[in-house]
Amino acid sequence: MIRYRNIHKSFDIPVLEGVDLEVETGEMFALFGPSGTGKSVLLKTTLALVIPDRGDVEIDGLSVYYGGPKTLEQVRRKIGFVFQHAALFDSLNVFDNVAMGLPEAELARMPRRDVARRVWDALETVNLEPREILAKIPSELSGGMKKRVGIARAVVGRPEILLWDEPTTGLDPINSAAVERLIKRLSTELEVTSLLVTHDVEGGLSMCDRVAMLYAGSLRFCGTPDEFRNSPDHVVQAFVDRAAAEAALDMALV
Amino acid sequence: MAVPIFSPVVGWFARLGRAYRLTLEHSGALGLLVWHTIVATVRLRVRFRDVVTQMHIMGIQSLPIVFVTASLAGIVTSQQGGYQLISASPRYVLGTLVVQSIVLELGPLLTAIVLVGRIGARITAELGTMVVSEQIDAFESLGRDPVAILAAPRIIAGIITMPLLVAFADVVGIWAGMLMANFDAEIGPETFLYGARLFWHSWDLFYGLSKAVVFGFVIPVISVHMGFRTRGGAEGVGLQTTQAVMFMILTILILDAMFPPLMLQ
Repeated sequence: MIRYRNIHKSFDIPVLEGVDLEVETGEMFALFGPSGTGKSVLLKTTLALVIPDRGDVEIDGLSVYYGGPKTLEQVRRKIGFVFQHAALFDSLNVFDNVAMGLPEAELARMPRRDVARRVWDALETVNLEPREILAKIPSELSGGMKKRVGIARAVVGRPEILLWDEPTTGLDPINSAAVERLIKRLSTELEVTSLLVTHDVEGGLSMCDRVAMLYAGSLRFCGTPDEFRNSPDHVVQAFVDRAAAEAALDMALV
Repeated sequence: MAVPIFSPVVGWFARLGRAYRLTLEHSGALGLLVWHTIVATVRLRVRFRDVVTQMHIMGIQSLPIVFVTASLAGIVTSQQGGYQLISASPRYVLGTLVVQSIVLELGPLLTAIVLVGRIGARITAELGTMVVSEQIDAFESLGRDPVAILAAPRIIAGIITMPLLVAFADVVGIWAGMLMANFDAEIGPETFLYGARLFWHSWDLFYGLSKAVVFGFVIPVISVHMGFRTRGGAEGVGLQTTQAVMFMILTILILDAMFPPLMLQ
C-alpha cells in the first residue's frame, strides 16, 4: 500500500498543500489534474526524488522520510519508476540500460548469463525484439521504443509497485494506445500496484480501478471511474468535458 | 502597505540577503559534494574503470591543446624576456626567467584555464543535461548513487591528471622557450640551461605541482556542483555552463593569488 500523508511542497510558490492519498495493494490507480498541479511532484516524493517540505510517504508501512537510508533503499527496491521521457542513460546501450534496473548488489553477484536472461525477458515483456536492439544506444531508438526500454528497465527488477509518470506523453495516438495496453497487461501479469499520472483521462478511466484528481495543490476528487465521470463537482465536470473534447479532436486528426 | 520612501533601502537589503543565501547554499552544497565524494571513495564505491575513463578524457585527450598552449607560453615569454632583459642583464638570465615563469605560474595557470574550457564546461553541460532529462533521478530511483557514479570519478581523475598535465606543460613550455631563445636571441641551450639551474629550487616544482593538485580538484568539483544544480531545459544547461565557467575561472585566479603568500615566503 502507498500512503501519502499531508504532503506539502513549494518551489517558490506552493505546489502541493497537504495532500493525503492511499493506493491499495494490487490496485491500478490514476492521478489526473491540469498541468502544473503537482502530479509528477507527488509521484516523485514516493522515492524521495523530490523531498516534501512537510509530510511523509509510507510504502507497505515503511516510512520513506523517517525510516533512514536503509529503509529508503528497501523502498526503492520495491518500486519501478517509468519516467515521462524514458530517462535512458545516453552513454549506455539498451542492454546496460535495462540491466541497471537490477538491484546493484544482485547485479554484482549474478553471472553475466543470468543478467542477459533477465534483460532479454524484460525486453520481450514489453514487446521488443531483444536481438535487434540490445546493442543500440538510446539516440538510435524511436520515441515509442525508448518508452518501452524505459518500462523494461522498470520491470526487470521485479518490483511490487510501478509508478508511471505520463507514459503516453509525446507519443502518437497509435503508439499511445499500444503503451496503454502494455500498462494494463503488465499491471495484471506482474500483479503489481500501479500508480499512473496521466493527461490521457479517457485512457486512465478505462484502465484503472480508482482515480483521483489534483487541483490547485490539493486533492479534489478520489473515487471510481464512474463516480469521476458523474461527479457533481463543477471543477471535475469541466475537466472531464475538456478531456473528452481533446480526445475527440485527437481521434478526428488520426 | 509598502512605504515608497524606504523601497530602495528595502530592495538593497533584499538583494544582499539573496546574495548571502545563495553563497551559503553554494558553500553548503559544495561541502556536501566533497564529503559524499570522500565517503564514496573510502567505501570503495567508485569504479576504477570510471576513473580511468575520466583520466583518459581529461589527460590524454587534452594533451594536444596543452601542448599548443604551453609551447606558445614558452615562446612568448622567451621573446619578451629577450626583448626586455638582454641588453641590461647577463644572457643566461633569460633561462632563469623562462623556467621560473613557466614552472611557478604559466604552466599551472594556463593548463587550468584550458581545462576549465575543455573539461569543466563539458562536465557541467553533460551533468546538466542528465538532470533536465531526469537521468539523475533515474539513477536515484534505481538505488544508484550519482555522486559515486558521476562525481567521484571526475574529481579523483582531476586530482591525478592535472599535475601530470602541468608537468607535461612545464617540459613543453621550457623546451619551446629554449628553442625560441636560440632562434631569436641567439642564446644556446647550454647558456639557457645554465641560467635555469643557477636559480633553481626544487621547492619551485613542488609549488607549481601543488597548484596543479588544487586546480585539478577545484575544476571538477565546481563543474559537477553546477551541473547537478541545473534547472530548466536547454536554456538552463547553457546558462549554468556559462556561470560554471565564470565561477571556475574566478576561483582559480583567486586561489592563484593566494599561493605566493602561503608558499613562497
